[in-house]
Amino acid sequence: MTATTSLPQASPWSRVGAIFRRDAIVALSYPGNFALSWLSIVIQVVVAWYISRLIPNSPKFSATGEVAASYFQYIAINTAFVRFQTAALNSFAESIRDAQLTGTLEIVLSTPTRLNTLVLSSAVWSMTYTVLQTVVFLAIAAAFGLDLRHVDALTALVFLILTVTSVAPLGVLAAALSMVIKKTGPVEFLSTASASLFGGVYLPLRLLPGWLQAIGWTLPITHALNGFRAAASGVPLAQVAGDAIWLLVASAILMPLSLWLFAKSVDKARVDGTLSMY
Amino acid sequence: MLTVEHVDKSFPVSHGFGAMLRSMTGRSVPRRQVLFDVNLTVARGELFGLLGPNGAGKSTLLKLLSTLTVPDRGRMTIDGIDVEREPLKAKRRIGMCTSDERSFYFRLTARQNMEFFGALMGLGGAVLKKRIEECAELVDLHESLDQRFGGYSSGMRVRLAVARALLADPAILFLDEPTRAVDPVHAEDLRGLIRRNLVDGAGKTVVLATNLLDEAWDLCDRVAVVNRGRIVALAPPRELDAELDAVARYRVTVDAVDDDLLHRTRTVPGFRDLRIIKRERSVDLHVEMEPRAGALGALMRAISWSATGVRDFRPVENEPVDVFKKVTLQDDRDH
Repeated sequence: MTATTSLPQASPWSRVGAIFRRDAIVALSYPGNFALSWLSIVIQVVVAWYISRLIPNSPKFSATGEVAASYFQYIAINTAFVRFQTAALNSFAESIRDAQLTGTLEIVLSTPTRLNTLVLSSAVWSMTYTVLQTVVFLAIAAAFGLDLRHVDALTALVFLILTVTSVAPLGVLAAALSMVIKKTGPVEFLSTASASLFGGVYLPLRLLPGWLQAIGWTLPITHALNGFRAAASGVPLAQVAGDAIWLLVASAILMPLSLWLFAKSVDKARVDGTLSMY
Repeated sequence: MLTVEHVDKSFPVSHGFGAMLRSMTGRSVPRRQVLFDVNLTVARGELFGLLGPNGAGKSTLLKLLSTLTVPDRGRMTIDGIDVEREPLKAKRRIGMCTSDERSFYFRLTARQNMEFFGALMGLGGAVLKKRIEECAELVDLHESLDQRFGGYSSGMRVRLAVARALLADPAILFLDEPTRAVDPVHAEDLRGLIRRNLVDGAGKTVVLATNLLDEAWDLCDRVAVVNRGRIVALAPPRELDAELDAVARYRVTVDAVDDDLLHRTRTVPGFRDLRIIKRERSVDLHVEMEPRAGALGALMRAISWSATGVRDFRPVENEPVDVFKKVTLQDDRDH
């Protein structure tokens, strides 16, 4: 051993990989929970399919509002998206909360790893797992009649990336709040339930009162959903460019802002000595 | 080298609803000061002890140095790096061993835990694998690395925390009660590892927080006694007695005591205290004197001039616990 640190340093990405691996091992170490999370996918598809049989086709359920579409087509795409959005919103705060509860937050923060790397990496496993589950969800839904023949791959890919970059900052903000209030319950409600209602997950936005439509329009989820439904219906990117630009601008503003606020919340916890408090 | 200059630290007394409302309305939240004007310098290659009762402020000081909390006032440097201004640089030079055994992932094996923390320290590949084996061997855990951490005993958890602190081969180690909950054999091994391998062998700087007096006395080059957030004494352990003007103790065994002997003893210049323990055929006098020149001779003369027979006369060495009690009690009286 030497008196100063002289060991060769690995690439910064190895830290992201280590956090991903840790989260994967922890998740897979709960086999019951792991199996149930897959079972829930099947149940969600079956429930959506059953409900859709009670609701007649309508143009309100189509991406463009011009031709009649089935409610199953509408709700299946939205539910798949909600899984994705929930992961993006909640996984950051849950990761912080887990670290507080397990007592690992302080020792992790005592390592020479940048705060941004720690917080952004904390959702990588969750997002990857959710992408995998969403693909399976869509495959099962296709077996129940979801029409994915017209998917526009480019639109889907662009909106997938923009959804992550625009919704993740809200997740980081939730993590910042959880660092201060030490609970994720209110954060989850505010981020998921309200976003789902105002964002037009369960009902098309155009069916809501005007003022709720106005609130919904400001949320990234609304534009992300528009994009995904358009992608599923084969709508080219150019037709939903407005939504894409909105998400791009939101990402550019929200991402640095959320990381700054997260750093501030960690600073406050350090000043108050509440890093390990839960 | 490590320096701490004029560091004060306080924490809010309450984190409840009232505190939140006060904070939101711009009013100050009452705080409790836990460190008062702490000043320290720890030389490179020194084994420095922070000794104090529970809640004295030892762990807070280590958390300040490892950037987990920030001081209200003052400055800290590690090898010239300002801890607050350049926390990442400072953290690259330190290894932290917390006293909290929950600082690992219970669902992961010890090896997976070490791989994770090693990666966060910037290590990877074959280097990390080799370091994990080396550090686990140092704390005698190399054969249980693939066991789940949740199945580890308390002692094994603490030893793994020491191994983790060593992973990146840092220049400075902060060890917060590293032998807590460790069985006596492994505790002795750990002390040997700290003194012989890390400090004497590798020239590392170690700051050891402990409430075990013998550990501090036996291991450390210098000890700071911390009480109620203040450093109330700082010296090499063996010099603490003199620096603190500690009492000189003597045990005198006599055939019997009478008023004349007691009076002569109590009027010796420098006399502090006398305890009498009666035995079957003799009496032990435990005399405390100020350690000033001539006091011992005066005491011997006073006792030998009395009518009683003196069977034995011997000095009693100060125990660490005496020094510790004296220092902390004096500080308690002062504040």
